[in-house]
Amino acid sequence: MSYDLPFITIQILTGLTNAMFIFLIASGLSVIFGVQGIINFAHGSFYMLGAYMTHQCVSLFIHSPHRFWAAVVLAPVVVALFGGLIERFLLRRLYGREELTQLLFTYALVLILGDVIRIFWGIEQFSVSRPPVLKGAVEIFGQFFPKYNIFILIMGPCVAFLFWFFMLRTRWGRMIRAAAQDRETLNALGVNVNRLFTVVFILGTWLAALGGALVAPATSIKPGMDIDVIITAFVVVVIGGLGSFWGTFLGSIIVGIVYSLGILVFPRLSIVFIYVIMILVLIIRPWGLLGRPLTLER
Amino acid sequence: MKRLLLSLAVCMMIVAPVLSAHGAEKPITVGFPMYLSGGGAVFGKPSSQGAMMYVKEVNDAGGVLGRKIELIVRDCSGSPEEATRVAKELINKNNIDFLVGGLTGSQGFALSEVAKQEKILYIAPISKPAEICEPPKLHKYVFRAAANTKTEGRSAAVLMSKLPITRIATISPDYSYGQGVTAAFVERIKKLKPEVEIVHQAWPKLGETDYTPFITVLMASKPEAVFCSLWGGHFITFTKQAKDYGLFEKFKFVSAGEGGCIESIKGAGDDMPLGIISNAYDTFYYPDTDWHKDWVARCKAYTGEEYPSSWMGTGYDAMKFLVEAIKKAGSTDTDKVIQALEGLIIDSTAGKLTMRAKDHQATRGQYWGTVAKVAEYPFPILQPVEYIPADDLMD
Amino acid sequence: MTKIEKWTVLAILIIIALIPVYGSRFFVFLFTDILIFGLFALSLNLLLGYTGLVSFGHAAYFGIGAYTCALLIKKAGIDFMLSLLAAGLFGAVGALLIGFFCVRLTKIYFAMLTLAFSQIIWAIAFKWNALTGGDNGIMGIDFPPYLDSKVKFFYFVLVVFTTSLIILRTIVNSPFGRVLVAIRENPARTEFIGINVKRFQLLAFIISGFFASVSGGLFCMFNHSVFPSFCNWSMSAEVLIMALLGGIYNFFGPVIGAGLLLYLRMESTSFTAYWPLILGTILCLLLFFFPGGIAGFVQDRFQKWRAAK
Repeated sequence: MSYDLPFITIQILTGLTNAMFIFLIASGLSVIFGVQGIINFAHGSFYMLGAYMTHQCVSLFIHSPHRFWAAVVLAPVVVALFGGLIERFLLRRLYGREELTQLLFTYALVLILGDVIRIFWGIEQFSVSRPPVLKGAVEIFGQFFPKYNIFILIMGPCVAFLFWFFMLRTRWGRMIRAAAQDRETLNALGVNVNRLFTVVFILGTWLAALGGALVAPATSIKPGMDIDVIITAFVVVVIGGLGSFWGTFLGSIIVGIVYSLGILVFPRLSIVFIYVIMILVLIIRPWGLLGRPLTLER
Repeated sequence: MKRLLLSLAVCMMIVAPVLSAHGAEKPITVGFPMYLSGGGAVFGKPSSQGAMMYVKEVNDAGGVLGRKIELIVRDCSGSPEEATRVAKELINKNNIDFLVGGLTGSQGFALSEVAKQEKILYIAPISKPAEICEPPKLHKYVFRAAANTKTEGRSAAVLMSKLPITRIATISPDYSYGQGVTAAFVERIKKLKPEVEIVHQAWPKLGETDYTPFITVLMASKPEAVFCSLWGGHFITFTKQAKDYGLFEKFKFVSAGEGGCIESIKGAGDDMPLGIISNAYDTFYYPDTDWHKDWVARCKAYTGEEYPSSWMGTGYDAMKFLVEAIKKAGSTDTDKVIQALEGLIIDSTAGKLTMRAKDHQATRGQYWGTVAKVAEYPFPILQPVEYIPADDLMD
Repeated sequence: MTKIEKWTVLAILIIIALIPVYGSRFFVFLFTDILIFGLFALSLNLLLGYTGLVSFGHAAYFGIGAYTCALLIKKAGIDFMLSLLAAGLFGAVGALLIGFFCVRLTKIYFAMLTLAFSQIIWAIAFKWNALTGGDNGIMGIDFPPYLDSKVKFFYFVLVVFTTSLIILRTIVNSPFGRVLVAIRENPARTEFIGINVKRFQLLAFIISGFFASVSGGLFCMFNHSVFPSFCNWSMSAEVLIMALLGGIYNFFGPVIGAGLLLYLRMESTSFTAYWPLILGTILCLLLFFFPGGIAGFVQDRFQKWRAAK
């Protein structure tokens, strides 16, 4: 089979779509680590919760043609508020303790949330369909390209720009960036850093659940989906450089493209692609592509 | 508070050795490690329910050789070493007499090894890799009640050979099961229809979350038909992603991996592709015989589900093989039961099945059919559907 | 180690050694499992508790050890004890190669690189069907003739465990061990006083890899089979939890953690399907009430009792 230019173009577009799926899932992880320095293993769990909630909302509004959009708006908000509660009453008690403690807590959350979801929804596999307006495909270079993929290709950068705007141009964004740099001084200046951190955690969780909502029509909603994505999410955040939001965006693109083109050259080695990428990146740039050296004490 | 927690823990550890002592006449215990939490639970749970239902039926009728059967079902999730650990715990702590269980292929191997080491009879209700019952891994203690990769791949080849196509592409998860089924399919389709050309083979990794790069390459190879062995959640994710590429409209599609079971059909929801050919261990709507209708009714009564799972038969039949063998042997002595099991014929949930003496495999076929929407049910079913027996496909 | 601690450890070892005498075969099985994973967790703790390096990929050496041992026994017909030693050495070499790249990084980057390498090892085991059997694994690893019973194997494991325990204890109490602790506390300052931090970290890595591989070799014989899942990150997570549960700042903590985790899981799964929920809750209780792990709590209480006397 010869790979002509139209085909390669489609393959690259496919890779970029994959990249945006990954970015939508991983962006929340990057935010939480970048600001709070917490490695949130439960990120996959909030993603999963977002997907399950989306299914629940879609089932609730089953007779409305706009049920998917309603779910995309509602589900992440519900999950984010839940994340806020967890941060406020549990995680906050562990601030100031060593990182390993917070790591262990988020891991414990993975276990607990996984079973909580299993208790509420059982082990069945659920399905959310694409909204009617995004069903079907368009023709690009004589090949089909799903409309939903185009939607994701647009959503990814939209979320990125929205976030960039929020961080750079709004008051909250400025405070959050300040907290990431030097929380003690910010505290001394009279800002309630703890409340700020709750907001950040809510934001990160909201992004995770939004990822779950947007990925839902393209995947099976079932137990274990939290584990399926968490490693990839971690890898792209690390490749991009922890704490760098654009790094995560870049990392996602690299992973997506390498994947879609890599299977043309090494069709049976897809199992190692992300790990090889991460090893190469970390050997050449030990702090990730756009990361800064971590300070020793936080 | 802290002290209480700690003392409780310490007490439990001291008391435990005492509790391991045993009393007098005990029931026939069967250990049943199964994939009950995580991705495979959707199939593991109904399998265990089938086993439990059979045990209840037997016990209600008076048991076996005057003794009740005690089925100990334990979660071993998806890993083989967990299956080994649970099995050994059941053997050493619960003193089980027989072992049935495991879902994934590697769990089948793991439990087979435990059976060989502990000299305990093991029947695999679901594990498919053909190698489990082939030399050098075959030994006297392992039996399989399930279908295997060879019979499944070859059944698919039989169906594919009837279609007016010559260019075939395959897409299968890149691990033992996917490799085994696909190899069996390719080998048989070439034999049945030598003019067939395998134009492309896609090998997404097991647990792939994005199949689209594989889909585009596959479609660019311009096949006329596609053979697929993705199963469960992997199959659902794939169909959702493949739908808008028009893959199912453009090419004929034959899917192994029980894509035709209710869990997969319901799990895919509105995105379940119509017109594809797939299989299932059982179909509650076919055949319309008395014994099958009775089976379905019993499943409904036991689980309370309106549309019983097709996976219940796997656990049910594995247990039935065991119990019938015990009855025939007139004893629970492992060697005698093994002898009775070899060559045993039972009335299973899929008709008469023979447990072959030469390789300890049951002649387990599957139901294959075309996915179609019908008026009677709120989801698609396989129609038309037929049972493809495995007897001629096993060697 | 104080005299009381020495006698306690000795007493516990003797009690364990007598298990085949007074305990059921289930307890022989359980404690063989605990000793193997206890060794695995101890090896990890040399990195984690003593050097301050969080490794997400320790299962790589467990897997290398298990596969080396299995392949040497099955394909080359080499004796088990020799294979076990070779497994440890292979693991050490693997740790050298992997550690060389990993110690150049810090904190989460270090952890993720260890994860990446261990996943590569897992992928090799998973895909190299001809050598490793792929995900069908390697079966039929039988006891050698001189260890032809579970009880004999249990004693063998106990001997290997105790020997490793003594060696690791010696290492940890030596000047080398103290340098590791200094590195854990403040790598910059340690570098400043002239210690080549990376070299020490790499050495700790190698020693840790050796013992992890030995435990892997023991496990392959215990299991009589090897699977790629031995190298997977979920195995790494399990041993990490064991160490944290028991307490990483106490030498014996990881062993206690291993015992507790294996025992609790067995007990829980016999009456509930929600073991992850139970484990998650226990971990939370630990974090909020017992920050030093179980061993830390015990040590803390013991010291308070002594101070009150």
